[in-house]
Amino acid sequence: MKLKESIETIIYFFISIGIILVGWEAFSRLNILSPSLISRPSEIFAVLYDLLSKTAPSGMPLLLAHIYSSLYRLLYAYLIALAIGIGLGILMGQNDKVYWFFEPLITLALPIPGIAWAPIFMVWLGFGDPTILTVGVLAAFFPIVYNTAAGVRSIKKELIWAAQSMGADEKTIFFKVLLPASLGYIFTGIKLGLARGWRTIIAVEMIAGTLWGLGFMIYDAREYLRPSIIYAGIIVLAVTYFVIEGLIKLLEKRTIEKWGMVRKEAI
Amino acid sequence: MVAPKLRLKKLLRFLFPILVLLILWELLVDFKILNPKLLPSPSNIAVTMYQLSIPNFLLIIYLLRSLYRLAIGYGIGIAIGIPLGILMGTSKHLYKLVSPVLSMLISIPTIAWVPLFLIIIGIGDETIILTIFLGCFFCIVYNTMHGVRSVNKELIWAAKMTGANRITIFAKVILPGALVSIITGLRLAIGYSWRALVGAEMLASITGGIGFMIYAARATFATNIMFTGLFIIALGGLLIDRFILGTVEKRTVEKWGMIRRIE
Repeated sequence: MKLKESIETIIYFFISIGIILVGWEAFSRLNILSPSLISRPSEIFAVLYDLLSKTAPSGMPLLLAHIYSSLYRLLYAYLIALAIGIGLGILMGQNDKVYWFFEPLITLALPIPGIAWAPIFMVWLGFGDPTILTVGVLAAFFPIVYNTAAGVRSIKKELIWAAQSMGADEKTIFFKVLLPASLGYIFTGIKLGLARGWRTIIAVEMIAGTLWGLGFMIYDAREYLRPSIIYAGIIVLAVTYFVIEGLIKLLEKRTIEKWGMVRKEAI
Repeated sequence: MVAPKLRLKKLLRFLFPILVLLILWELLVDFKILNPKLLPSPSNIAVTMYQLSIPNFLLIIYLLRSLYRLAIGYGIGIAIGIPLGILMGTSKHLYKLVSPVLSMLISIPTIAWVPLFLIIIGIGDETIILTIFLGCFFCIVYNTMHGVRSVNKELIWAAKMTGANRITIFAKVILPGALVSIITGLRLAIGYSWRALVGAEMLASITGGIGFMIYAARATFATNIMFTGLFIIALGGLLIDRFILGTVEKRTVEKWGMIRRIE
């Protein structure tokens, strides 16, 4: 049943993508859409092929070099944000004083779009990786810490008391009660942080990138008035994120869904 | 009688850490432990905010311009997104056809469209508004569609059996049933729009706006103007989420007992 459903989804997906591409190409060929502004799908695929066949100085195909730059930035920024975010989140969840101190600051910083930090860090750290990474960390950090703290605080006191009365020590309570019970929330934060980090890194690459990265590639194409590269970049962005998100969802399925701790949420 | 006192206590508890941080920040900068050129002190930021807003209204004009763009982009997003979402939710095949593509479109960082619009439309309000629209549109359609699909079939059958016609079923069963999801979508969408606004203004504005202000200040290393902008953006985002959408939510779904927590 499950397999049939996912096959159905994939088929529907390809049908709708097919309709869009064919319609787009047809409109373009009939000169309803100006091909110099709205590139034809065939042209976009030609550009993608071109980007894959040209090689960067590092020996990688050009497109892969851009993807690689964006991904390693995401990886580093995300890992740092996870380490600090989950750590502080758990601390906030367990200690009321810490919670009351950081909660207002996080509430205030949470709605700030990551890219708004970029100009300040560009003044402090200049162009390139230091700025992109720092802003990426900031963007991913706040949703992670917010949800982790909320998760740990959502645990019923009775559960902890029950464990305590049965003689569990601090460590056991932490690993067997606190962490599993808040994992649903933590995962929400992890996913939200990933989405925010990714968006922000692409955005900051546009204004502070140096030569490599998908954001840089897209923004650079504007200078040469090459919309087809931009379309190609957008497609690559969508596919890349689809893969990353798939990995996270797989991890979720293997862990918290299996343990029955998943929370319902909107996209 | 107790409520206002409790509220005041809550407010004080909220403001206390912010005050501590501000004082610490002020001292560190005043005693030159941190470079005041790179990190302006809170008092400097406050003065900047005053100078920018009172004598020549620049900050207020910029803020209004940003809000105007946000209102139009978000308004169009709602006006097209909700009807389209309802339409797509009512048909099973349309839903299955559209939903995977939509979830892929949502995942594309909105700012990636900006360079494209810069080529097609050029710098200016149209590009910014279009970006804001795209930032919220997919999310609104997706959640509306989801809401309509998630309405219990039994409820619709029950309404049919009691002799309700299609309009009644739509207005009294489907719409209220989908409302939680629709509001969730709207609330997420305003956040996306707000973010898209700042990004788009940085890249595509020459006529002001808060994002433009932050980005333009980079040229003169005016970090105090940047922090002013950052503060306004944080406050604006918070106010929009808490007071406008929070109130809407309270007045509608919470009152009808259909609340669902969102992050």
